[in-house]
Amino acid sequence: MHDPLCVVNLSKRYNSAVQALRDVSFSVKSGEVFGLLGPNGAGKTSLISIIVTLEKATSGEVRLFGESVNSHSRRAKSLVGWVPQEVINHGYFSVLEILRFHAGFYGVRDAEDRIQQLLRDLDLMEHREKKVRQLSGGMKRRLMIAKALVHDPKLLLLDEPTAGVDVELRFKLWSYISELKRRGLSILLTTHYLEEAERLCDRVAIINHGQLRAVGNTHDLIRSWTRKYVTLKLNKPYSNLQHPGLVRGQEKEWVFTMEMDKPLGLLLSELKIPSDDIMDVHVTEGSLEDVFVHFTKAEVQ
Amino acid sequence: MATIDPIFVPLKALLHREVARFMKVATQTVITPFVSSSLYLMIFGVSLGQRISFKEDLPYLAFLIPGLVTMGCLNNAFQNTSSSIIAAKFGGELEDLKAAPVANWQILTAMGLGALIRGFMVAAITWLMGEVAYYLVFGEFLKVEHWPALILFLALGGFVFANIGIAVGFWARTFDQMSAVGGFILLPLIYLGGVFFSIDHLPPFWRSVAMANPLLYMINGVRYGILGQSDVDWLTALMVTTVAVIATSLLALLSLKKGSFHRW
Repeated sequence: MHDPLCVVNLSKRYNSAVQALRDVSFSVKSGEVFGLLGPNGAGKTSLISIIVTLEKATSGEVRLFGESVNSHSRRAKSLVGWVPQEVINHGYFSVLEILRFHAGFYGVRDAEDRIQQLLRDLDLMEHREKKVRQLSGGMKRRLMIAKALVHDPKLLLLDEPTAGVDVELRFKLWSYISELKRRGLSILLTTHYLEEAERLCDRVAIINHGQLRAVGNTHDLIRSWTRKYVTLKLNKPYSNLQHPGLVRGQEKEWVFTMEMDKPLGLLLSELKIPSDDIMDVHVTEGSLEDVFVHFTKAEVQ
Repeated sequence: MATIDPIFVPLKALLHREVARFMKVATQTVITPFVSSSLYLMIFGVSLGQRISFKEDLPYLAFLIPGLVTMGCLNNAFQNTSSSIIAAKFGGELEDLKAAPVANWQILTAMGLGALIRGFMVAAITWLMGEVAYYLVFGEFLKVEHWPALILFLALGGFVFANIGIAVGFWARTFDQMSAVGGFILLPLIYLGGVFFSIDHLPPFWRSVAMANPLLYMINGVRYGILGQSDVDWLTALMVTTVAVIATSLLALLSLKKGSFHRW
């Protein structure tokens, strides 16, 4: 079976000065949520624009379910739903009309049941007669998502779905995204909320200045690129504890750092502190944010 | 489970959207033409027309009605496609359309038909107003001589202008550019295409200039349909109009392929 999305050596140059993407390759596997992370202007939206054929790649290729977006674009496009970063204003049309037209563009006959289902799932039922400008920011986002799902796509492209959204709705959207994944949808999500990516994404790619910096399983990346911090609280004051992982410390409180996959016991035995002297141990694990900072900072230097 | 029809369902949705759009702004799209054609009929047809001595046994009002009908149809067909595309660029809907699996021919056909429906509505209103004016002046209705020719020429002319509207909609970078094309190029062509005058009355030089205007053939095709006579032989009019449909369809297709779907 083909991967839902396969990006191969993709480069995009807008004019001689701006290189938005440089030789980017990755793929989204069936049924996973894949996060594309990067600071503003990293090239995330350029990449999505190429996938939906709004832009043409300078070189390289995008394949959706094995079909090139350029040569078999219509077949490929029908399997993809896209939620753009900016809300689309449909002027004169109501929520219901927008969903019906959109289903029509994808050739869906008898879309009514699915439209009603989406209106219920996304809490838009009572707003179905409203026009886009009458909707709140959160409702607009939900409408964009409903629209992207109306033709039952197999791959969903979410371009910063929670940008500018309040906390409550953000949690709701996260749980909806997880629900979609449970139903078997493959999802490509771009975001710069790292907490969002860490929670939702099976795998992530970190992109900066148009280049792919890292790609892999979210937890593996955290494990390989971050360290855990161990804070020891002691019963009696120590001085001069020697250890390569020592961060700081004095008297009863000492902080060490160690690799994520090393056991805590190793640190304690290396320090040779009797267990009776230890009052409390506090461990802080690394986060995706640390990984992100690691890869995006390296670029600056 | 919903089934997929990649041909007719998108076509129907696109056409439905086009028609729904102009019906939601009916004051602007249908009522305004009603007012402007009434004014033309009153000023040129009824008031001035009675002082103009025209061709034998053909009152000026009868000459004017087909011209106004064509003008209304063509102008509105252009307005519909160009403003539909520009509004869609403004809101970002055009990006949605690019991401959807619709073919260019579907977009062209649906937009052309949508424009034609608006053009025909305005043409019908103008014609009805013309009949009322004619009845008031002459105590009888103007009889349409060749319905098929009337409808055919209006449809072909409407498609030409719908296609031009599509091309302008895609290439225009601002609202100004769009109205410049409408106001500085198309409107003069329509006015000078013989809506208000017969080319038989022009001196030879201006007559040949007028003959180079493709609009002349569309207007006279419609005039042949209504009156059974016109400045240009109907077969010549049909050939020129058909060539114009083909040429502008290619132009519209090219602009869909090369033009920008990006939002403003």
